[in-house]
Amino acid sequence: MTTVALLGNPNTGKSTFFNCLTNQYANVGNWAGVTIDQTLGNIPKTNINIVDLPGICSLTPITKDEAVTVDYLLDNNPTDAILNIANACQLKRNLLLSIELLELGKPLILVLNMMDELSQSNVHYDLDILSHRLGCPVRATAARQNSGVDEVRACLSNQTTITTSDPLKLDYPRVISADIRDATTQLVKKHRLSQNFARWLTIQFMSDNDAVVKYVDEHRLDTLSEGRQTYREHHYADQIFHVRLTFIEDTLAAATSFTENRPQNTVTTKIDRWVTHPILGLPIFIGIFWFMFKLSFDWIGTPMSDYLNTLLSGPLSEATNHWLTVVGALPFLRSLIVDGIIAGVGGVLTFIPQIFVLFACITVLEDSGYMSRAALVTDRLMQLIGLNGKAFIPLIIGFGCNVTGIMATRTIEQPRERLVTTLIAPFMSCSARLPIYSLFVTAFFNQHQAVIVLSLYFLGIVIALAMAKFYQLVFKLKDASNFVVTLPNYHRPRLDLVIAGAWQKGKGFVKKTGTVIFAGTVLVWLLSNIGPHGYVINIDASFSAIIGHWLQPAFAPLGITNWQTISALMTGVLAKEVISSSMIVLFHLSGQTSLVTTFSTLFTPLSAYSLLVFILIYAPCFATLGAIKTETGSVKWAIYSLISSTVLAYGLSLIIFQVGSLF
Amino acid sequence: MEIQVSVNEQLTVHCMDHLEKGISRQLHRLGIKPGTVLTVVRRYPFHGPVIIEFDDQRIGVRDAVLQTLTRR
Repeated sequence: MTTVALLGNPNTGKSTFFNCLTNQYANVGNWAGVTIDQTLGNIPKTNINIVDLPGICSLTPITKDEAVTVDYLLDNNPTDAILNIANACQLKRNLLLSIELLELGKPLILVLNMMDELSQSNVHYDLDILSHRLGCPVRATAARQNSGVDEVRACLSNQTTITTSDPLKLDYPRVISADIRDATTQLVKKHRLSQNFARWLTIQFMSDNDAVVKYVDEHRLDTLSEGRQTYREHHYADQIFHVRLTFIEDTLAAATSFTENRPQNTVTTKIDRWVTHPILGLPIFIGIFWFMFKLSFDWIGTPMSDYLNTLLSGPLSEATNHWLTVVGALPFLRSLIVDGIIAGVGGVLTFIPQIFVLFACITVLEDSGYMSRAALVTDRLMQLIGLNGKAFIPLIIGFGCNVTGIMATRTIEQPRERLVTTLIAPFMSCSARLPIYSLFVTAFFNQHQAVIVLSLYFLGIVIALAMAKFYQLVFKLKDASNFVVTLPNYHRPRLDLVIAGAWQKGKGFVKKTGTVIFAGTVLVWLLSNIGPHGYVINIDASFSAIIGHWLQPAFAPLGITNWQTISALMTGVLAKEVISSSMIVLFHLSGQTSLVTTFSTLFTPLSAYSLLVFILIYAPCFATLGAIKTETGSVKWAIYSLISSTVLAYGLSLIIFQVGSLF
Repeated sequence: MEIQVSVNEQLTVHCMDHLEKGISRQLHRLGIKPGTVLTVVRRYPFHGPVIIEFDDQRIGVRDAVLQTLTRR
């Protein structure tokens, strides 16, 4: 088995390449930081494994996702060869990384990707000169158009290219070269490192690579630790960087020729004239989101959901009921299947169209390159709360699912800022909360559906921002100036990628209906049919009713007076979708339509809104709590999030209901 | 002293030593070094970020960073 690692700057198309080579789907997007963890795949009909890694600008990690990549390289030399993907349009900075990789001495193939974009400019590169100077095979591709990928695959299958190689040796200043040689010899002799790895480690250590310094400390490589003082005092890091940059400039000067082709005003410049406009940029940003919600909830999603609902709660439910009666199933079992599973799980399944349209929209935003523009136009706003525009991206992704939103915080540089973003991400109204909004909106706010739902999303953002401000004051965050965002060229979203991306993100929802939601529904059904004395005919004697009644005094000030709703809220911690399926089961109804009718007798528009606000803010679901624990590395933050958000939800709903009752 | 930069103005990077370590590293990796010529493409109101162009690439940074980079 041969392992090939995909390495390169952020947003050079590594994941697109991975998908082409392996025929799998890894999430792709046109902004730095889409891939945040390693993905493994196999090239069909070969014994070559490909590892897709988060993009890095250099081997010195700044963010957490970059650390994944550097740790991967440090960890026992796991890869046999490297596929270095570079953006042909920004070769200069991409080669900075290539040099660091070439010094590692692993067989490396340099791929100049995005050649289609380069061809629109007047620059042309001579691949033979590049290959000769860098000492590695160089290939040109346009992975989005699938062009050149076969050549790379052929190159990978060629045993000689991926087994033999010499490390690149640059002419560092004489003193540094001598020190590198000495340290390498020592490392090889004393610590039994391989020659290439020892040399690479020494150069990285001299360049002040934090991850390597940590590695050296952990492995007690004293040879290097002893020299640290000298390396720092004589600015080895700067000197090394300078030599590399000069080498790149010379190499590029030799390999570049200019064609007659006059670079024209590109599509990117034209779009950016409006989208990044200092004054219009923010309204356009809001407009894009308004459009996205209209598409998901009004124009496409809802009509399709309604159709699915009619099918599930009508013909399917009746047919199953009829069939179960004919075959003589026990009434208990029939009730479990029809009133429990079909009604409950089905009630959640009807939201699939809305959720998939929303995910498709988020994928389009990612794939087109708009995300980094969104970071830019929101930066000034985020500065007010001690964060930067990049924190907005995880929040937007959080609209789809809070778990992926929290994982996207890995691209934020400062640990404190990352923590704050992780803590506020659950206030973003994820797609799982949508089913319950829709039910109440249909029941009470039929005329203004989109407005009410949008107001909840907006409220979520306001609360998230307010909490961020609060954390800024508590943690005493300085007004951080660390905001650097690269603006890639726009890509026309590819339909197949959008569909694959929406499926990739949305399949979790479908899976959940089969697991957590299914189990939750059955549990709720059991709790509502069993009481302290066994099977109950009257639901008011069931466990659910007992729990609900017990908590009733606490929820009365919020305008929530029926025990069924309270019991359903408890189950929402499993997954937010369970709230609506629980309600259907607890009210013993056949589906959404009848639930909507029931609501009008139990709630007023005010208490309904108060409940929706409570659902928006209270306890994150288990999956989100798990993500908070993983990303912060501490269970305390997860518990904190659980308690603080519930308290906040209670307080806000209380204010809304009590103040609203005065009018 | 704050310099008022205007759109399409070309500025030369003078010194990167006064920046926070993290951010100077990030800019370094994008290929910015003393001597690099930056073109200001956009400025956002209220001292918001600025878009700068160099080596055929565009990036957004905070206004304060640009000020520090190009201060003589």
